[in-house]
Amino acid sequence: MLRIEGLSAGYSAKPVLNDVSIDVGAGQFVAIVGPNGAGKTTLFKTISGIVKPSGGTIIFDGVDLLAVPPPQRAHLGIAHVPEGRQVFPSLTVMENLEMGAMTESGRRDWQANIERIFEWLPVLKERRNQFAGTMSGGQQQMLAIGRGLASSPKLLMLDEPSMGLAPSTADFIFERLIEIRRQSGLTMLLVEQRVAEALESADHGYVLEAGHVVLQGNNATLRADDRVRKAYLGM
Amino acid sequence: MLRMRSLLPPLLFTLAYAVVSLGVTNSYYQLILTLVPVWAVFGLSWNLLSGYTGLISFGHAAFFGIGAYATALGQIYFDISPWLLIPVAAMLGGIAGLLIGFPTFRLQGHYFALAMLAYPLAILYVFEWLGFQEVTLPIKRDAPIAYMQFADPRFYTLLGLAIMLATIVLTQMIERSRFGMALLAIKQNEAAAEAAGINTLAWKLRAITLSGAIAAAIGGFYAQVLLVVTPQSVFGMLVSAQALTVAMFGGVGTVWGPVIGSVILIPLAEILHAEAGARIPGIQGVIFGIAIVCVILMAPEGLFWKLRDLVRKRSAKATTDVPPEAAAANVTTLKPAARQRAAKGEVMLEVKNLSRSFGGLKAVQDVSFKLHKNEILGIIGPNGAGKTTLFNLLNGFLKPSQGEVLIDGRNMSGQRPHVICEAGIGRTFQVMRPFLRMSILDNVVVGAYVRARSDDEARKMAADAVVRVGLSAVADRVAGELSTKELRLMELARAIAGQPRILLLDETLAGLGHGEADEVVAVIQQLARDGMTIAIIEHTMQAMVRLVDSFLVLDHGAVITEGLPEVVTRDSRVIEAYLGKKWVGHAAN
Repeated sequence: MLRIEGLSAGYSAKPVLNDVSIDVGAGQFVAIVGPNGAGKTTLFKTISGIVKPSGGTIIFDGVDLLAVPPPQRAHLGIAHVPEGRQVFPSLTVMENLEMGAMTESGRRDWQANIERIFEWLPVLKERRNQFAGTMSGGQQQMLAIGRGLASSPKLLMLDEPSMGLAPSTADFIFERLIEIRRQSGLTMLLVEQRVAEALESADHGYVLEAGHVVLQGNNATLRADDRVRKAYLGM
Repeated sequence: MLRMRSLLPPLLFTLAYAVVSLGVTNSYYQLILTLVPVWAVFGLSWNLLSGYTGLISFGHAAFFGIGAYATALGQIYFDISPWLLIPVAAMLGGIAGLLIGFPTFRLQGHYFALAMLAYPLAILYVFEWLGFQEVTLPIKRDAPIAYMQFADPRFYTLLGLAIMLATIVLTQMIERSRFGMALLAIKQNEAAAEAAGINTLAWKLRAITLSGAIAAAIGGFYAQVLLVVTPQSVFGMLVSAQALTVAMFGGVGTVWGPVIGSVILIPLAEILHAEAGARIPGIQGVIFGIAIVCVILMAPEGLFWKLRDLVRKRSAKATTDVPPEAAAANVTTLKPAARQRAAKGEVMLEVKNLSRSFGGLKAVQDVSFKLHKNEILGIIGPNGAGKTTLFNLLNGFLKPSQGEVLIDGRNMSGQRPHVICEAGIGRTFQVMRPFLRMSILDNVVVGAYVRARSDDEARKMAADAVVRVGLSAVADRVAGELSTKELRLMELARAIAGQPRILLLDETLAGLGHGEADEVVAVIQQLARDGMTIAIIEHTMQAMVRLVDSFLVLDHGAVITEGLPEVVTRDSRVIEAYLGKKWVGHAAN
């Protein structure tokens, strides 16, 4: 579904990503973990086109992504659930979801999508007429995920969905993500600092450090890896 | 020492400018050379308010015009010399600033800018109604010098330069002092500035008073140079725009910005006016406009900052600066220690039945707790439980609907944040707002002024705070180059620079990786050992259980339970509402 090869990117002279290669198969749930400043968010920004890479290729669904202008990329089926949620605070939950359905496929499948979103994230249905800015952090995160789903994506990219959330709320979010994937078979790419939860939820993981992929494998291998246990799981 | 070094550039610049202007004999060019310092000073006056506080004024012509008319009318009706009238004009401008600032500072952002736009427009029509469409200054042939009427126009240039030099030096002094720091803090985050002990309204009023005084003085001088005043030429939109243009073109928030802008733009505009405008009338405006747009596109923050960034980059390359790893290695990183619970000391802070509701929502209801000396209290609870609201009630951002906050037995609830800060409560914020262009040390100084009596003392206290959080090796680096962890530590340093006795930390570990969180935890532990009393809101439970002496758990604004970490984390209500069953599983590992 998504194949990143030899990707390098950075801001002015400062390289952030260095020869990064990542494969996300159709229907896979892939987690990218690593410390602050490892380049996780930059990787996402490069995929959505906010940052221009200095080298490498990104192939999405058979299309050379770097040849597609950034605003068009959402229409290819990439939904980016940004760090810090970024919901539209003065719009209602329903309006926020409608903003997510601006893609062609999102408009076409709106009815079916909204039903499924409400089924997966019932709190959004309950609060559909509430202003997004008045909801709690966990609810806003669910709205951001719902907004991403409303575009009928083939790939859902999640940037730190657990940030600033209570442990139980974060658990609930991960639970929902696993459930959404189980039911829809959607391909997901997750960036997380909560390494334990991320590796538990995903089936494949990459460890990114200082712009390099230092380790990769399926979740069981990674969780058993001594370096991961020591550096990230605090064991 | 420092003062002498910063005095030199403006002095040299003024001297060079004076030498050049003395060599010019063409009276038109002489006028241009006089107008450059005039608009530079006007830009500087605008910069003093808007550049440093970030509150954009579209109406600085109000002050300029008041000064111009005061100088003109004072001569006509009272036969007073402009040598006396210009200082009087400055006083009137200052008073106008105070009168305008008091109601207008209730507004922020665009609303402030728009409200400021209204003042000169309103005054303009008042002067038209009063019949001052065109006021010509009386010519004093018998005593020209006493009435600031020089036969040689180069004297005007020299006088303008003198005013400019004085304004530059004044601005530089303000920049380095507690005044300038307060204004910068307001620009970055007014709420945080209040929490750091800065009386924001008082400083803003001082800034607009001084700014208005300078603008009025130079307006008076402008009237004297042109010898004729019309409402449009001193109160008009274009006058207000002139201040913004020279400052934004040259660089906002720096003493050199308006000077650079004026030196380039004023001659350019005048020469275009004379040369191109003679052939195709109006073309000068088009060229001028395009030139400004181009520069703004290439250097959005103004020429000064662009040039400085270029110079910095070059010198950084030349010295191949020390890699951050090496710099960090010089710091002895503290390791988190096993928790040694302090014996309960005296009560530092007592909260009694504190409540606050927004509309029908009870954000905080009937919360009571005590904070003992040297204690670290962890405040946890689900999102929306009212944790941050509780902090906002404690430090004065919000007024409680009910209840008391006792510091040393004195009820402080409902006081302004800077008053509570003075009483000894410091805090950090969920969202960091560092001053990106300033060094770590300069960032921290802002927090020290609440206790320091002099600028030197403040710098010493700031340096001390930087050492305590372990950032001394990077103290001179610009905040924009720091990692999240270093920024968090810098925020911590800012909060402790004012030597609070009680520290409120709001999600200080958010966004930090595992090892990074440990380092920050170690710093907080050390602060507690040194006698600080701390309340911390945080979701990173692994770090929290090692850090805190006791927990206070909130849900739906009310206290569910409080007590020792090992008891609270096993409480079924806490697991249900906050921790989740999974966490219990992880913790068992």
